[in-house]
Amino acid sequence: MFDRDDDIVERVVRQLRQPVSIDPALDARVMEEIASDAAPLAAPRPWFRLRRWPWLAAAAALGAVLIARPWSGGSDSAANAFQFVLVAPQASSVSLVGDFNDWDPARSPMQTAQGIWATTVPLAPGRYRYAFLVNGVEWRADPGAPRARDDEFGTPNSVITVGGTGS
Amino acid sequence: MMLTALLLMVQVAAQDPRLERLDPETRSLVMSVVDSARAVGLPSEPIIQRALEGATKGAAGPRIAAAVRRLATDLGTARTALGQGTSAPELEAGVAALRAGASPEVLTRLRDARRPPLTMALAVLADLVASGVPADSASAVVLALAPNARDADLVEFRRAVERDISLGAPPGASASVRAANTGIRFGVTDAAQNPPQPPRPPSRP
Repeated sequence: MFDRDDDIVERVVRQLRQPVSIDPALDARVMEEIASDAAPLAAPRPWFRLRRWPWLAAAAALGAVLIARPWSGGSDSAANAFQFVLVAPQASSVSLVGDFNDWDPARSPMQTAQGIWATTVPLAPGRYRYAFLVNGVEWRADPGAPRARDDEFGTPNSVITVGGTGS
Repeated sequence: MMLTALLLMVQVAAQDPRLERLDPETRSLVMSVVDSARAVGLPSEPIIQRALEGATKGAAGPRIAAAVRRLATDLGTARTALGQGTSAPELEAGVAALRAGASPEVLTRLRDARRPPLTMALAVLADLVASGVPADSASAVVLALAPNARDADLVEFRRAVERDISLGAPPGASASVRAANTGIRFGVTDAAQNPPQPPRPPSRP
């Protein structure tokens, strides 16, 4: 039994010891394969992973702008124009002031035609308190709008509510 | 870099140029209220606007400070009643409704009865009370209308009540009769005790 196994082993060894003919271009082909396989390993990272910190910095800066924006008067992107009118034939000047213009009389001066003062303001959805400043000294509520109940500074205010997409 | 951006944001927030219209002492008081509001996620813009209103109207500093503190407190109450995800306009309208006499419970029930935004429903509630409708009646009417009425319907309802009042109708009676004529079957007291079934889950993020 051992003799038979030795014979088999001997034949395998002889077979393995036979010379192998190698293509002279093998080295070149192998190097080409290595080069072509190396490309995926070194594939460029997605654009958003390149130079991570500059992108994060840009995002932070954008966030800062968005957070700082509220006091710039709010977005007008969804705003509709609303006309405000006050009949005041004796007035020499009327300004519309309210939550929508930082309570700045210079921002919304009203124009007159035969004592009817009017101006148009873009308003995004929300609830706004406002009043008319007549001749720079007299505060008047809008007679055509609901009154605000919290007139904490002793002068009358009106309110306007601009709806969104309510049900 | 991120830290620098955050510091920049804080610095910019501390230098709102509009508040330069206030004297330094009042400005400092107002900014402390604004910072506190921001820290708990409340909108700061209504507080700033209230301070600017006081400045334009020539109110004394302590009066402005008291007004902004009260507003910040009421914004917090409104948010507790309406939920964490409530928008700034809804919170402002909620404050108006609270100051008109609506209870926080009414705000919570309105939130549960109507899909957002609630701004118009809350505003109409406040406006009805301002027109003379008793707060309880106005709350019941708006709660009854809330599930199905559109914003435009609510506005038209308010205008109709105001017309009635201007013609001499008792405010509470006008609100009840007008609401009944919309096809909603309710009595003011019944509506308050048995609100309509909510059309959506009550919880908001």
